[in-house]
Amino acid sequence: MLVFILRRFILLFLTMVVVSIAVFIIAESSPGNIAKNVLGAFITPEQEASFISQNGLDKPMAIRYLYWVIGNDRVAGKKIGMALKKIVTREGFEEWWAVKEDNSLVRWKVEGNDLVAVNLRPDGTMTEYMDNDRWQTIEKEKQVFWGVDRQNHAVLWVKGDTEKAWIFITGKGLMESTGGAKEYIPLKKGFVRGDPGISFRTGRPVSKSLFIRLRNSAVLAASAFVIVMPLALLLGIVAGLKEGSFKDRFLSIGGMMFSVVPEFATGIFLTLIFSVWLGWLPGAAVLGDAAPWEKPVMLILPVLTLTLIELGYVLRITRSSMVEVMKAPYIRTAFLKGLPHRQVVIRHAIRNALIAPITVIMLHVNWLLGGIVIVEVVFGYPGLGAYLLESALYKDFNALEAGAMIMVTAAVGTQLIADIIYTFLNPRIRYA
Amino acid sequence: MPDKSKAKSLKTKPGSGRLRQTAALLFSSKTAMTGFVIVMFWVTAAAFAPYLTQYTPYEQDWKAPNQGPSADHILGTDELGRDLWARLIYGARVVLVVLPVTEKIILPGGTAVWGVLVALIAGSALGLISGYKGGWIDEIVMRSLDAMMAIPVILLYLIIVSAIGASAINVVIAIAIVGVPGIARLVRSLTLDIKTREYIRSAETRGESDWFIMFVEILPNTRGPIIIDAMLRVGYAIFAMGTLGFLGLGMPPPSPDWGSMVAKGRAFILMGSPWAALWPSIAIASLVVGLNLLADGIREESMRYQ
Repeated sequence: MLVFILRRFILLFLTMVVVSIAVFIIAESSPGNIAKNVLGAFITPEQEASFISQNGLDKPMAIRYLYWVIGNDRVAGKKIGMALKKIVTREGFEEWWAVKEDNSLVRWKVEGNDLVAVNLRPDGTMTEYMDNDRWQTIEKEKQVFWGVDRQNHAVLWVKGDTEKAWIFITGKGLMESTGGAKEYIPLKKGFVRGDPGISFRTGRPVSKSLFIRLRNSAVLAASAFVIVMPLALLLGIVAGLKEGSFKDRFLSIGGMMFSVVPEFATGIFLTLIFSVWLGWLPGAAVLGDAAPWEKPVMLILPVLTLTLIELGYVLRITRSSMVEVMKAPYIRTAFLKGLPHRQVVIRHAIRNALIAPITVIMLHVNWLLGGIVIVEVVFGYPGLGAYLLESALYKDFNALEAGAMIMVTAAVGTQLIADIIYTFLNPRIRYA
Repeated sequence: MPDKSKAKSLKTKPGSGRLRQTAALLFSSKTAMTGFVIVMFWVTAAAFAPYLTQYTPYEQDWKAPNQGPSADHILGTDELGRDLWARLIYGARVVLVVLPVTEKIILPGGTAVWGVLVALIAGSALGLISGYKGGWIDEIVMRSLDAMMAIPVILLYLIIVSAIGASAINVVIAIAIVGVPGIARLVRSLTLDIKTREYIRSAETRGESDWFIMFVEILPNTRGPIIIDAMLRVGYAIFAMGTLGFLGLGMPPPSPDWGSMVAKGRAFILMGSPWAALWPSIAIASLVVGLNLLADGIREESMRYQ
């Protein structure tokens, strides 16, 4: 049992690694140009090159993958010779600083031939001073310095040989500046440490938006789950009690119809009925900054769409499991020994009939995730699925990869849980 | 195991009367018949699309955008004044009847059908090899397919299509890749069963090659469950095509693609012209339900005959 679970854990881990590499390779090798997406179609080649090098996109893919997974602040810190620290400013921005010998924080900029340090003391005061002693001579006449610039990169400056750089500031556009560096490492802590980097699309840290989106999706999925499960199991048992009866045919064909229709079509039908025709509910889930539970009306149609689709699937599985159990010899025995119908169904049949659906439902989470993506797009619900789609279309790979990994974790994780539940429900495996 | 018995029953049926037998199956089940009628409606509409409408799917009438059904346009028009009935049946054409490879080359057979066909070929080959050979080949193939199945389907579609771009051929590729693991598993389980039969023993004793045994002895005997599975898969493929189109990953505009028609029309629902989103939604829903009714009915009937 323990060995079994351990094996599954290792398999889960391997799947995650393989998937993350696959997603990374496919996303980054796909056509389309992130620089053009961010900066617009009319940028000059120099501007594009500057953008690509500032975002570390000129590095080999293997290195970018490693940086994305485990971060690069240690590597960069070694180059600079100081520890690096991420702080959150009072305005909510994330900034990277190097930690100086006296425990104050420092970043640098280059003005002409001079290296200027910006020093942030623990009391919050900021001062600037010349810091030309830090230039390191590597060859004759050539002096270089690895430091942290003011846009959260670890950078390599060469004295007297600065590049013209274009710095993109969200909301302002592309600003030309001097004092650009030869090499950039955009600092991040890495996905496994909770920081998958900055989203190209929004300019905000991925982890911030992702958390809110994930919470919204979880609320949506959980509400649908809570409604679907009891209802579908009940209807499935009712349908499976008497195979071939009118009730059975009605429920199973009706359930099939709802479960095979694409989510967007169901969503359109429900919108037409409830918001255009009857005018009861809003046709789009406009949440703004509010949490979904603050505006429960917005949740009704998305949850209803998901419910209809999942209902049919769970119903059919419960039904076929129930049909099988009702044919089992022990049910016949129970009837023959004169137990009342109620008791046979409740004590003997249902208990055994529910093992299969409960595990299969967990495996179905894979499909549920797909349904959630579509439902979120149909109703404009700000969830993880919509975020993933927007990121994929924009080629915002920091966000796409993080979202994809979370989705895969959810899918693989529930499969693991399904396996464990199954071993607990089924004594033949538990005691093997 | 229902698959096992089905394979056996189909094997014992004589080859000549198979068509008549299928027809009998079809007519004896109300469910299957309903599905058949719906599917045939769309196939006919798609096949004869040019004769069923006076408009082309691209013709714009800027004087009549977003109209409801009328004598001129039986289903109304979309936001550019294009005839919805024309777009609907030409959309069915892409799904069921033709596969536009490039602007000039067009293959018969429909995007959804090709997607399933490619998945069937690749999946059957993988399933046969891994089921018949067993050992480490089986282990490697099955573990990698397991890993693929662990990825949420929608994510797989999203990544594949955003990587290779949106076009009819790429939709076929995406549908095929997503379909392979399921088919391979089905064929493998059938192969494991058939492998133990006596006629396979005798073929081995005759000294036939592995390839002959796999593709001539085993493969034809797996067809019963595979055909029903394929029918359901065409349904999934249409579902997937619609979903991709809806997400903006399907056929590039202005192709008449059901999913993207819904996505475009959605914006006008709350402005009082729901037709552009309603008709393609009904179309895709009816076609998918039809295919499922057909497959379900046939499966039920064929199980009853055993």
